Amino acid sequence: MLKNYIKIAWRNIVNKKLYSAINIIGLTVGLAVGLLILLWVQDETSYDKFNTKVDRIYKVNASIGTGASKQVWGGTPAPVAFHAAKEVPGVEAAVRVVGDMDYSKFRYKDKLLRRTATMKFVDDAFFTVFDYKLLKGDPKKPFPTDQSIILSVTEAKKYFGDTDPMGKVLRGDDKDPYTVSGVMADMPANSSIQADYLFSINVRKKQYNGKGMWKAMDEDWGDYWADTYLLLKANASPIAIADKLTRIHMSLQKGIKPTDGVFQLQPLADIHLYNPDLTSAGAEIVKIFSIVALLILLIACINYVNLSTARSVLRSKEVSVRKIIGAERKHLFFQFVFETALCFLIALVLAFGIIYAIMPLYNHIANKEMHFDLFSTSVWKVIGITTIITLAASSIYPAILLSSFKPIDALRSRASGVGSGNFRKVLVVCQFAFSIGLIIGTLVINRQLHYIQTTQVGYDRDHVFTVNLYNNMYPHQDAVKAELLRHREITGVAVGDNIVNGDSSTGDTDWDGKPATASMVIHPFSIDQDFIKVFKVKLIAGSNFTGEKSDTSHYILNETAIKEAGIKNPIGKRFKLWQRNGIIIGVVKDFHFASLKQVIEPAIFSYAEKSGQLFVKTTGKNAAAAINLVKQYHVQYNHGDPPFEYNFLDDDFNNLYKTEQSTSMLFSIFAGIAIFISCLGLFGLATYTAQVKVKEIGIRKVLGASVLNITTMLSKDFLLLIVISLLIASPIAWYAMDKWLESYVYRISVNWITIALAGVGAILIALITISFQSIKAALANPVKSLRSE
Amino acid sequence: MLSLKNISKYYKAGNLKTSILNNINLDVDAGEFVSIMGPSGSGKSTLLNIIGMLDEPTDGYHYFLNQPIHQLKEKQRQALYKENIGFVFQAYHLIDELTVYENIETPLLYHNIKSDERKALVADMLDRFQIVGKKDLFPSQLSGGQQQLVGIARALIVSPKLLLADEPTGNLNSKQGDEIMELFKKLNKEEGMTIIQVTHSEKNAEYGSRIINLLDGTVESSKNV
Ligand SMILES: Nc1ncnc2c1ncn2[C@@H]1O[C@H](COP(=O)(O)OP(=O)(O)OP(=O)(O)O)[C@@H](O)[C@H]1O
Ligand SMILES: [Mg+2]
Repeated sequence: MLKNYIKIAWRNIVNKKLYSAINIIGLTVGLAVGLLILLWVQDETSYDKFNTKVDRIYKVNASIGTGASKQVWGGTPAPVAFHAAKEVPGVEAAVRVVGDMDYSKFRYKDKLLRRTATMKFVDDAFFTVFDYKLLKGDPKKPFPTDQSIILSVTEAKKYFGDTDPMGKVLRGDDKDPYTVSGVMADMPANSSIQADYLFSINVRKKQYNGKGMWKAMDEDWGDYWADTYLLLKANASPIAIADKLTRIHMSLQKGIKPTDGVFQLQPLADIHLYNPDLTSAGAEIVKIFSIVALLILLIACINYVNLSTARSVLRSKEVSVRKIIGAERKHLFFQFVFETALCFLIALVLAFGIIYAIMPLYNHIANKEMHFDLFSTSVWKVIGITTIITLAASSIYPAILLSSFKPIDALRSRASGVGSGNFRKVLVVCQFAFSIGLIIGTLVINRQLHYIQTTQVGYDRDHVFTVNLYNNMYPHQDAVKAELLRHREITGVAVGDNIVNGDSSTGDTDWDGKPATASMVIHPFSIDQDFIKVFKVKLIAGSNFTGEKSDTSHYILNETAIKEAGIKNPIGKRFKLWQRNGIIIGVVKDFHFASLKQVIEPAIFSYAEKSGQLFVKTTGKNAAAAINLVKQYHVQYNHGDPPFEYNFLDDDFNNLYKTEQSTSMLFSIFAGIAIFISCLGLFGLATYTAQVKVKEIGIRKVLGASVLNITTMLSKDFLLLIVISLLIASPIAWYAMDKWLESYVYRISVNWITIALAGVGAILIALITISFQSIKAALANPVKSLRSE
Repeated sequence: MLSLKNISKYYKAGNLKTSILNNINLDVDAGEFVSIMGPSGSGKSTLLNIIGMLDEPTDGYHYFLNQPIHQLKEKQRQALYKENIGFVFQAYHLIDELTVYENIETPLLYHNIKSDERKALVADMLDRFQIVGKKDLFPSQLSGGQQQLVGIARALIVSPKLLLADEPTGNLNSKQGDEIMELFKKLNKEEGMTIIQVTHSEKNAEYGSRIINLLDGTVESSKNV
């Protein structure tokens, strides 16, 4: 029986080449794309879940300020972990993960290597709280001394090759010796903590010498630089623990405002997809893409259902005969399921081929390192669910339909159409509604992206590139600046912080007339006297830095800062940043120093005579020459160590929108694929219609209808369906895209032009698809078609 | 074997009720060869389909092998049909996608017959109808007469007790028709197969043991040959 089912199914596929091709291509593309998207979704949602205690691990975030200026930071002061582990009942262990203080190279004997991977300082509990695998060393006591270092397998190989690294000594920046006390497996790509070099947090502890403002690391409540992870006891309440930590903070830091440094716990499983303030950091895209994957799979299924039910009319005779010679419902049902399953199997194999082939490209676009491993259980989970759903949707309906009609009616050909054509129409409308929705989405996303990239951000970054001065050029920066300016290829030079992405911020501010309850988080930029000129930031009051000694007590603020602080006539007023009192000498017009997703926040320029970052403005024509000039100085001072690197601020700027760009790129591709599969189905239906109406067309032609008449007759119904899809899709897509745009503070609005564009596009594409068959049918010789009946 | 009591069939189209069959009473014994005749539209096919359980009467009692068909559930009726009735059509109704061999074999699949037994049965049938040489051809490659032979072979392969044929020779020339009729007669005589056929031809009707004339949905006459 089984053999028979397969034989029949195979013969049906081979005999009806056009239909089979349409079905299989549609399913293949739908499956391949659907699986690729779902793989991506699965990867995104798998972050940190490899930790067996993931349910009990939380990250401590700190909320600063209230109202509009409220910010939630991912870092906390170092004492949080110290006190959490010591005196908070529900906490089993606490781990800090801290960056900074970077060595740029390590030496083992005569091997001196530049560090390209991340280094972190962590507490001893690191390997017992998390599941990072220590291949060598003691997870309970990973750092026997403060001068211990743990390396990832990859990094260890670089220094020690195949020899055992344990006990060997690496010298950081050629001076500080660290003994290798462990080798860990490389951290999984879906880990939100990434490091290849681990040091004991005690190394950082030693930097507090008791002389600064904060006497010891575990008493420093002012710097929010430690990522703090807590392992809670089984039934501990995260809220109660966060409260307890906040109370400890308030009691130990004198003079702290009750709104500055309120702690919140965020589950480890959430931190990849949600920001500390619980806004989406990718969760939204994961949701959108899951929906897109589902839509594409649905569109492919609909194709199959539509074509097979349409064809069932042509097959109703076969089914009737089978019933009359004794077939029961289950026999017919299985016959159709087998046919679908076979189509599906072929499509699946082809889809695997496609997935393998385009995986590298896909990884490139999606900016990931996903592997399509045919033998991994997670891949099969995705495939299994997809397959079952698709198979069910695309075989059971046609199977039931075909096996349920009364055989004698079909044989007498009184049943002109099995299954209502209306059902098919509804499906076509769904299909095109999805496709049009995706097209509208694509158009809106692309327009918004274009808008962002062309919006005036309030400063001029054109043809500005930046280089790091490094230790040896740093002291000579004034001379270098002066010399560079002598070349006509270079039109401006400045040092300071990067204006494109002002991601540091502080709440340590004070000013005359500051209300007791107020606090203001401000983004500090330290710059030289040329910075504002080079970047053409507009000074709207007061004056720029002059480069004299007195500038160290001068501040320039942006409009938002002035407004938020509530300072009237700001020039000459007192302002205090961190511990440094000064006066406001200027106010600049607001400029965007972050993604246009964020509203402009307070910013402050302070004067620094020297900075690590050099900015060089050139012109499009002279860029290469200018880069070469700067390179010569780099070679002269730094002797090619580290190698010369530069980057244009335009690239930094584009980096702000990297996610958006890859999202928009993927979205365009998906929309294209959706419309392609839909058109494939439409093509099949048009072919079928022309086939069924071949006699009618013949008679009409004999009666004098023109080719245009007939093409119109055949296309009209389909076009009507597309128009209905447009009417259904546009308000929904409009609403959805409006919602999406809300995440941007500065945004376009969806308008009729977008909708019209999507509509006209869809109709045109559909029209071309249909008319191909319609015209062919209309041109056919009527005598032939009439005789063949 | 078969007994119809007061069988009627109506179709409703809007308010109009058209009567197709009117109070038909008919008894057929095992081993009979009945020919149904009558003008076009008189209800012959409808009657045959009701006898074959492919259609249901609007009214009346229908007994088959002493079972009250009008009271049976769809499933039971289906089982009874499957075991006992074979159908032959004017338009042959072979499955185009299957070879001659497969067409004949298919009913056996639906009767859950084992592969070995299937082979033997089909080989027998091919032999008997002398179409062994055609077994791998598709229906479109056969003449009408050959196709009808396959149709009959297919109906007989599950050894039904009752063979129903709706104008089995309608699409054939008279020589091919005669061959089919001879075959029916032989089946009836030698194997005791009960046969009911619908035909337009007096000559073909004469092959049967009884001729029933239908007119406007009623039995106008019934005579033994
Ligand atoms: N489903 C139906 N709906 C309405 N009328 C029907 C239906 N089926 C059959 N009829 C009508 O019933 C009548 C009898 O049809 P039937 O096919 O039984 O005739 P017939 O005697 O076999 O004719 P022919 O010799 O042409 O085959 C016809 O007038 C036909 O139009
Ligand atoms: Mg008839």
